[in-house]
Amino acid sequence: MSGYAKPLPRITPDNGPFWEAARRHELRLQRCLACGQVWYPPAPVCPGCLSDRHQWAPMSGRGTVSSFVVFHKAWFPAFASETPYAVVQVELEEGPRLTANLVDVPPGEIRVGMPVTVVFDDVTPEISIPRFRRAP
Amino acid sequence: MADGATIRDRTAVSGIGVSRFAFAAEETPLGLAAEAFKAALVDAGLTKDAVDGLAINIGWPLGVDYDRFAETLGLRIRFVEQAWTHGRFAGPTLQAAAMAIHTGLATCVACLCGVSFTRERQLLGGPGDFEGTREEGGTHQENPVYGMTAPAAGAALAAQRYFALYGATSQELAAVPIAFRKHALLNPGALMKKPLSLEEHQRSRWIVEPLHLFDCCLVTDGAACVLVTSAERSRDRRKPPVLIAGMQGLRAGRDDVLFGRPGLGLWQQRTFRWTPADDDLLVYRMASLTQRDVGALYTYDAFSPLVWFVLERFGFCGPGEAAKWTQGGRIELGGELPMNTSGGLLSEAHVSGWNSIVELVRQLRGEAGPRQVPGIQVAQWATAWGDSLIFRR
Repeated sequence: MSGYAKPLPRITPDNGPFWEAARRHELRLQRCLACGQVWYPPAPVCPGCLSDRHQWAPMSGRGTVSSFVVFHKAWFPAFASETPYAVVQVELEEGPRLTANLVDVPPGEIRVGMPVTVVFDDVTPEISIPRFRRAP
Repeated sequence: MADGATIRDRTAVSGIGVSRFAFAAEETPLGLAAEAFKAALVDAGLTKDAVDGLAINIGWPLGVDYDRFAETLGLRIRFVEQAWTHGRFAGPTLQAAAMAIHTGLATCVACLCGVSFTRERQLLGGPGDFEGTREEGGTHQENPVYGMTAPAAGAALAAQRYFALYGATSQELAAVPIAFRKHALLNPGALMKKPLSLEEHQRSRWIVEPLHLFDCCLVTDGAACVLVTSAERSRDRRKPPVLIAGMQGLRAGRDDVLFGRPGLGLWQQRTFRWTPADDDLLVYRMASLTQRDVGALYTYDAFSPLVWFVLERFGFCGPGEAAKWTQGGRIELGGELPMNTSGGLLSEAHVSGWNSIVELVRQLRGEAGPRQVPGIQVAQWATAWGDSLIFRR
């Protein structure tokens, strides 16, 4: 067992391919084969046309911070050593927004509009979590 | 009729009751709810046999479920409606009651909220926040994988986005809790007893930055009961009826998120200059009134930014204008649009908004004492999630 103590994602039939791709260090989201919409969070049908035909399309991994918050108290014990820690919302170039953390950016330097790019954090042999870093 | 006018003024609130509010009550939610229910019966001059409908806002584990309540109080119920653990269902619960009365499914519906947030505090954040993984977080925007938890976090994300879009500040946001604290000081039933200054607001600890302690509601226990009946029956009660003039439902969809309003670009919302369309303001058309007729506005103020969002959502000001609009005492007693005159969730108690609905009824009956809005004829309940009811004398 790994020593990773923070909450891990709950893998479901809907989000399984997302986490399988992340394990290969790929950010993939569902793209509708009927109307082309790209959506998140993972879901069995397209929110645009209700088609259940989609592909798990690779994303650019590039986006901007659309909002963020800073936790000064650790509700989860495993986050205690990292407070204050930030949680950001990243708007991908392809449109959908993801919740994530930034790596190597102190909370005080985070700004709405900041360009970021995805990185993968191998937290267990099975799970790699997408996070973001400042875009070069 | 498409505008819902057939229900205008046909139903009414005929009784209100509250339990004591406390930071950690000894009573269970069942005990608190029973206290509020009995108080409402006395207020209306009714016995329990008159109640044949139960509309419960917040069941187990924060509150009491309909079946346990009916059994405990020895009721004979023929119409039940129950929401789960979400406080935002105050409006929809009242609406269900009014619709049940209007369609003849019941003659007197007790709308009940009895909650103990302090007993179930772990639901409000951390490992016990089982909603953090609800269908990938959904509109809560919670995600334990990234340490994103607690309702305050979603509201903080909305506030940060609003600050960035419109140049609004935490100092401006402070006008909301400061106003409601002033109201609480005029309310003997309110739990917060000390004035709040801008400096204290700014100095207070972060709950989730950029929200300070005083931007977040109290965590309390308490209960409230609102009896809804037909306008006709309500005229025979002890107190003057408070008529339900109009209503509109809770919104949901990709443009609607918890703790925001459409257009902000939170979660999967589109970012655009959102202003209310006709369908977003159905409540006024149904009531044959406009915003200008509203003497006092009541909202679910779990977090300060929600007050800004409801003002923009219902067209009291334009998108991005609420920060400036709420300055200078405008939402205080004596101001142009007094809001949450009992102190609200921020300073009276967190009874999921029902404490504000009870206050609204008191105001329209002229029973609000030192907090009375002079000459008030119309009061509105409206939330940042788009649901609303308009009440009138």
